[in-house]
Amino acid sequence: MSELVDAKGLACPEPVILTKKALDAHDEVTVLVDNATALENVKRLASISGCAVDVTEGSGGIFRIDIKKGQGSRAACDASPEWTHPLGPPHALPGPTIFVIASGVMGHGNDELGALLMKAFIHTAIDLEHRPDMMIFYNTGVKLAAHDSGVADDLKALEEKGVRILVCGTCVNFFDLGGKIGAGTVSNMYDIAGALSTAGRIVKP
Amino acid sequence: MREDRIYRVALFDSVSHVMKAEKILKEANIPYKIIPVPKHISTDCGVCVRFLPEQQETVMEALRLHVHVSEIHELLR
Repeated sequence: MSELVDAKGLACPEPVILTKKALDAHDEVTVLVDNATALENVKRLASISGCAVDVTEGSGGIFRIDIKKGQGSRAACDASPEWTHPLGPPHALPGPTIFVIASGVMGHGNDELGALLMKAFIHTAIDLEHRPDMMIFYNTGVKLAAHDSGVADDLKALEEKGVRILVCGTCVNFFDLGGKIGAGTVSNMYDIAGALSTAGRIVKP
Repeated sequence: MREDRIYRVALFDSVSHVMKAEKILKEANIPYKIIPVPKHISTDCGVCVRFLPEQQETVMEALRLHVHVSEIHELLR
């Protein structure tokens, strides 16, 4: 017996979330949607999850989507709805958004240019519509947290806005920057690995 | 830490000129900051040098013989 999900009139990402919930509890799910976007998103969830999908167009622009578990290309229906919905707002993802600054330069090719770009990037971060929850600096990235880096004031301003800033302690030690860190918390691999493992989004310029 | 105040920005003809200017200002210990060119000034993807208005003469003097400043703009930050 197929579980019925009536997602008519619902806006994204509701149809996908309801479908996902139904699929968690049932092997067969029938979803009704009334717009093409919801149809595509539900279809994508089902196919990514390895389910068989069959669409019937009914009257009045209503689509009936029959989903059967385990009959598609993958064994289990275990996709999370969030990443099947690329148009959703970034903060709809679970877990914090983390900017990982793994180097003092942005991009590869010319390091002088890369250093300039990275400074401009960090200066811009505070004005972003989707500001990070956390920024993690490691390897040569820690040099940006030094008080003479040219962006320490930007990082302090970000901290004041509630952005957590972790600076790799091993790296600070390696580059002999002890006592010269002007922003952020000097941290350790436990905190850094722990934070990275909970990230909803990782942005690595 | 970062209060709203008036700054000025110096624009250059190329990114390599910005780099050159940065080197000179750094060596001369003149306070400056590299920032993206503010959108209201230009929408091309450039960077520029921000400085305090009272430093303008010092900045211009330091750069004068080495790199050409193409524009100076006032900026409220």
